Amino acid sequence: MSNIDRRTFVKRAGLGAAALAGGMPAFIPRLGEAADAIKIGVIEPYTGTYAFPGENETRGIEMAVDAWNKRGGVMGRKIEIVKEDDAANPQQAAQKARKLVNQDKCVSLVGTVSSGSSISVSGAAKDMGVVFMATGGHTDDVTGKNCSWNTFRVCHSTWMEAHATASTLMKKFGKKFYFITPDYAFGRSLQVAFEDVLKKNGGSVAGLDYTPLGTTDFSSYLTKVEPAKPDALIVIVQGDDFTNCMKQANQFGLLKKIPVGGPQAELEPLWGLPPEARVGFWGIEWYYKSDKCLGVGNAAAHSFIGEYNRRYMKKGDNKATPPTARECFGYVGMDRLLHAMSEAKSTDSVKVAKQLEGEKFTTIFAGSSYFRREDHQLMWPMWVAELRPNGSPGDPSDIFNVQDIHPADQIEQSVAEKSKICKIAYPT
Amino acid sequence: MLEHGAVAPQLFNGLVLGAFYAIVAIGLSLIMNLTGTINMAHGSFMTLAGYLAYAMVSRGTSFWFALLVAPIIALIVAVVIERTLIRRLYGRDPVYSLLLTFGLSLIAEGIYHKVFTANSVPFSPPPALAGTVALGFMNFPAYRLFIVFVLVVVFVLLALFLNYTRFGLRLRAAVQDTEMITALGTNTQVLYAINFGLGILLAGIAGVLASGLLGLNPTSGNTLLMPAFVTVIICGMGSLYGSLVGGLLIGVAQSLMTLFIPPASEVVMYVLMAVVLTIRPRGLFGEEGVFG
Repeated sequence: MSNIDRRTFVKRAGLGAAALAGGMPAFIPRLGEAADAIKIGVIEPYTGTYAFPGENETRGIEMAVDAWNKRGGVMGRKIEIVKEDDAANPQQAAQKARKLVNQDKCVSLVGTVSSGSSISVSGAAKDMGVVFMATGGHTDDVTGKNCSWNTFRVCHSTWMEAHATASTLMKKFGKKFYFITPDYAFGRSLQVAFEDVLKKNGGSVAGLDYTPLGTTDFSSYLTKVEPAKPDALIVIVQGDDFTNCMKQANQFGLLKKIPVGGPQAELEPLWGLPPEARVGFWGIEWYYKSDKCLGVGNAAAHSFIGEYNRRYMKKGDNKATPPTARECFGYVGMDRLLHAMSEAKSTDSVKVAKQLEGEKFTTIFAGSSYFRREDHQLMWPMWVAELRPNGSPGDPSDIFNVQDIHPADQIEQSVAEKSKICKIAYPT
Repeated sequence: MLEHGAVAPQLFNGLVLGAFYAIVAIGLSLIMNLTGTINMAHGSFMTLAGYLAYAMVSRGTSFWFALLVAPIIALIVAVVIERTLIRRLYGRDPVYSLLLTFGLSLIAEGIYHKVFTANSVPFSPPPALAGTVALGFMNFPAYRLFIVFVLVVVFVLLALFLNYTRFGLRLRAAVQDTEMITALGTNTQVLYAINFGLGILLAGIAGVLASGLLGLNPTSGNTLLMPAFVTVIICGMGSLYGSLVGGLLIGVAQSLMTLFIPPASEVVMYVLMAVVLTIRPRGLFGEEGVFG
């Protein structure tokens, strides 16, 4: 046994590496499904760097489903969801999308945190002719170059994120920025949009590093920041990558020397940071404790948060966390999808898609919004917040101090601009 | 866009990262050498030690105590698992133990997920190590220097243990010829158990240190596992120093790559591996007599 030759050993180690990289497929059969239920497939990253936001989107999705089921379902039929893990891997996401529709007979798909997965699921859903409610992938292409009749996107596009925050950050910090940006669809499209604003306003790029998704050690990038002498460090990486980047920036003493901010900060990774690393100005997409985000006296928002607290904020559970923008995406996406099925009195994909287009509605955030007919982007505002490291008295999770609101039509490309990139064509 | 003086900090960063890879690779290779087990649960044991340390520190225990005790608890858990499960598969095709340990790592991940949620937990180094130290060419985080110090001490102790203690010598003899050492009256089952525990002890120490640096979540241990596997392949089995050099080599290569093509920093270790396997298939330090 001890006399392993080199060749055997390499084979074994290779086997180990392959198993690590591949993961294991899920083939567990599901039992006890009601025959007449409407089934909807949910694809989220339940493992890997986006596991926590993936879980939170699912909470929002489940809350919307439960609310509809409590009211008697859609067209008298119960709603059931079937969940699959994409591990933020686009190939795996497309494969799970096909499985959900072909094998589990889901009539629509909802989900994904990762932009790469959102694009691949959108493509697979188009092939299969089902509606895909893209809740959480931000890259422009979802409602831009890759837009299609069957895909609707809830969260903001990267264009919106950049245009809501870049000018504010320039006003606060200066004109020369250093970027740490994730090297995939989301990061690349956000970088392009951010630089667009920067250059139009006379700013410049002091440095830019595209880091691989899942980078754990940012020291090599962080040591390049100070010598480049930027006015601010713009952090675009997300999820656990964001946690590691900010934690290490703090350990290098960078956060005390150079202002920091970015177009998108989420509560999930921020809560994973020690308070001294929670600094800067950031673009945010929803917040549970600000009337600027929720709208003054918005009953829908307050009953959503009340219901969330009943379900997930059990007393004495010190790991319980308040709802984040991810719960909002999941809830709004699933709620609107079910609303459209109910109004269209059908689960037919074309009818549901047409029903989703254009209708104005109010929901759990401030003001009214709609899915734009021309690109299927949800038109809703963004906000800029300053971090409050230790939260507010009595609520250590309350770390955003929301400052400005940026209405959708001021931060997203106009219909005229969009029509050059995206044409929605229904199947004939 | 290579600026003057940019290389030294990257070399230094790479050495710190490489020291992690080396210590994990040594643990893997200890276990693989003696029993032919490819321990896919190695990363899970790192995460276990990290969570144990986090649980202790958040209940008011000092970081130093946690750094000492958490890896020892991980060692005890590891020996129990080795004695009850992994032991049964020795002598079979390595696929069996690979599948078993892979299954164990999935179970462990599920448990961490239930107990600590999918979110990263805020685990910080103690205030004494929070600042930076001026090195002349750069300001380097004190915590990273501390990590280098601990890993050097661990490495020296390990080398002394394997070369100068009776037990260490038996361990090395068993790697060379298990049958002979059994015939000479050594209880190899005890050797197996302690060897497995030793590998996990190293993983545990790396796990606690990494938690303060690279974050701590149910899958965080696995991020160090892949480079460690590649290290074992590049350096060749059987050599402690080989693992050290291999780990440092990968760390430095990754770090320097960020100066030129940052997105390629993940790929560079596989390129290194391919090159080494092509020109020197037994690895840089593979011992010819023993490993064919």
